[in-house]
Amino acid sequence: MMLQDGSTQILCLTAQSGVPLFSRGASKQLPFSVIGSLNGVHMFGDGQGVALSGCQTDCGGRVVWRVFHDSVMLIAVNGGHRSGGVVQGHVKGEELFLERLLENVWNCMVLVLGRDELTGMKNVERLKKDLRSCFGLIDQLLEDGHRGVMGNLTHCADCLLPPDPALVQEAVDGFTRSVDSEFGCLVVRGRIAAATEKWWRLAPQEVVLLSALMRTLSASGSASCDYPVFLPQGSPTVAHRLLRFQLLPGADVCVLCGPAPTLHKAQSDLVRQFWSPLAETLRDCLAVGERCLPAAVILRAPEILALLVVNREARRSVSCVRAGADDSPALPSRPRCWELLRLFYVFAVTRYFGQEEAPAPGAPAEEGADSRSGASGDFVAGLSHQPLQCYLVTEECKCYGLQTPQHQLFLLCPLSVPTFALRNVATQTLSAVTADTGF
Amino acid sequence: MAQDLQPGSIIIPDWHQCAESKDFFSRILYKKKRKQFGLLESPAMAPQAAVDTVQYKVFLSGKNGVGKTSLAARLAGLRIPSMHYETTGIETIVLYWPVKLRESGRVLFFRLQLWDCGENALRRFDHLLPSCKEQVDAVLFLFSFTDRTSFDDLPNQIARWSGPSDRVVKMVVGTKFDLFMHSDVTQREVRQFQETQGLPVLCTGGEVSDGLGDVANFLNGLAERLWHQDCMAATLDRRPTQCREGALI
Ligand SMILES: Nc1nc2c(ncn2[C@@H]2O[C@H](COP(=O)(O)OP(=O)(O)OP(=O)(O)O)[C@@H](O)[C@H]2O)c(=O)[nH]1
Ligand SMILES: [Mg+2]
Repeated sequence: MMLQDGSTQILCLTAQSGVPLFSRGASKQLPFSVIGSLNGVHMFGDGQGVALSGCQTDCGGRVVWRVFHDSVMLIAVNGGHRSGGVVQGHVKGEELFLERLLENVWNCMVLVLGRDELTGMKNVERLKKDLRSCFGLIDQLLEDGHRGVMGNLTHCADCLLPPDPALVQEAVDGFTRSVDSEFGCLVVRGRIAAATEKWWRLAPQEVVLLSALMRTLSASGSASCDYPVFLPQGSPTVAHRLLRFQLLPGADVCVLCGPAPTLHKAQSDLVRQFWSPLAETLRDCLAVGERCLPAAVILRAPEILALLVVNREARRSVSCVRAGADDSPALPSRPRCWELLRLFYVFAVTRYFGQEEAPAPGAPAEEGADSRSGASGDFVAGLSHQPLQCYLVTEECKCYGLQTPQHQLFLLCPLSVPTFALRNVATQTLSAVTADTGF
Repeated sequence: MAQDLQPGSIIIPDWHQCAESKDFFSRILYKKKRKQFGLLESPAMAPQAAVDTVQYKVFLSGKNGVGKTSLAARLAGLRIPSMHYETTGIETIVLYWPVKLRESGRVLFFRLQLWDCGENALRRFDHLLPSCKEQVDAVLFLFSFTDRTSFDDLPNQIARWSGPSDRVVKMVVGTKFDLFMHSDVTQREVRQFQETQGLPVLCTGGEVSDGLGDVANFLNGLAERLWHQDCMAATLDRRPTQCREGALI
């Protein structure tokens, strides 16, 4: 592969004629001839009545294709990891990762431009120009992985559990009503700290995507926004308004609403009224920091490198890495912990657990797509039962996965933790996170 | 009326360099960088030294890619985007700036909210422009020194704001002045333009140092015109200028 180790590139072409529309990711772009060939093999398959969905090169590179609404083809190309290892060499897993990425990228395009614009294809040159407006969000998705965001992969919203959830919930509900909306959410450090009931009923992909948009907007440091957004599932052809207000740096509230009120009005009349009394509560939320869990949740910190807890039904997750004080250089770095956590998640769900599948966008009721990424691989297919726990010992860490009807836990521990103790640490961690918080 | 305004006639120009201003500027700095304020925050002074704040809404107008988002970030001391990502809606930035009025010696915090909307978004969605125009106090018309068409289009843009908007401060800003090697617009043309249109032209661009010096001139100039406009309005219809003032929390 001509890509750097581990880097991913996204290519977008018109599905009919293979005209390149854009490419993102990876500092070094693939040569035009390679892009042409990637499109070519897919077209060839098409001609033979075969849908080419993915392939692997002999040195671990991977390509995944997907056509959306017969109009846009997205290709994800991953350079592969030379550093190998059990977790990484896992075929199904890499594919899941890339498939999710393509789906997210398509959703980004719909969110910004609307579906009609993308499927109409009246003027390719104009579309090419218009698509530039999606680059900010697409690049954010490509970079999110490095910033400890799991939702793009899990399609479960990244959450932060506030110390006083009732107070912020009430404020979010009240503020949302005041702008004549039912969809509102409070985002702290890029994670959802509270949201209205309706917000949680948006498609999981939308919740995750809106969170990514909020992260982008929040990072720019702007005080407020009024963004037209299409909802890839709920409203792909009619734009809504996403109003966002930066209450404190790092704490943003947003609502989806109709034509009224104007940004000016909402901001000058409503924001202070609802949120001024909560300034201290918001500061407490900010203080929760990267741990994402309130101080009341006590973890066996030295034994935990990273954790991800998924609430399966609510499709929410909390995650953190290296929350303990131990900064020993012998342990994997924080970015590496995030990477390992993602890899282990993919490994565990594709092999053992299976992940809850939200209806896939794009092709209407595509037969192959859901079953392919939904259920687990061949290994589990041979089992007569559903695995509840799994573990894996690698050169860098020990991993333990645990699932109950309600939750999934993915845990990384340092090598110093004896393998026989993993299960104990895992069950205790899961109950510590979920018991008092109601997560 | 704005063009008659002598720079520094209302606001003391280099006040940020005076020792007496230190206590005020320290409120908008954190670790020598500009401090970010959420909507619930404002620069707090000690109670006995409380200072009034006046609020204004400023709209940034200009072609796709001229540097509206970058200018807003620059003025607020935020990180300037190195890449051009289109702004796909309205984004506002709030900044605080202390000034000292020449005549009365009174100190004020200007709270400027800069409204920035991507040109393509404005074209695609009709509701954005009216929202930007609502109760606006000033418009900055941006052109880029490296984009001739953005300069040629200025009269058009300005014409759209003539008429009922006579209570709006208008200024022209030339961006990417640092790229003079690739400049498409000459200084002479700018001077000429300034004379025919009767609007002040400011130039920005280049690296930002952390200090206040980069933006002091710009912000004082803008503040001065906003204040002047209010004073004129007050004498015309006796509207008290006080209506802009909000107490600090
Ligand atoms: N050298 C230099 N580059 C600048 C300056 N201002 C903006 N740029 C660059 O010009 C590009 C576009 O700037 P933006 O501020 O994003 O443009 P915009 O006007 O907000 O564009 P839209 O949101 O699409 O309407 C970016 O790559 C900036 O880094 C400047 O003063 N000097
Ligand atoms: Mg912009």
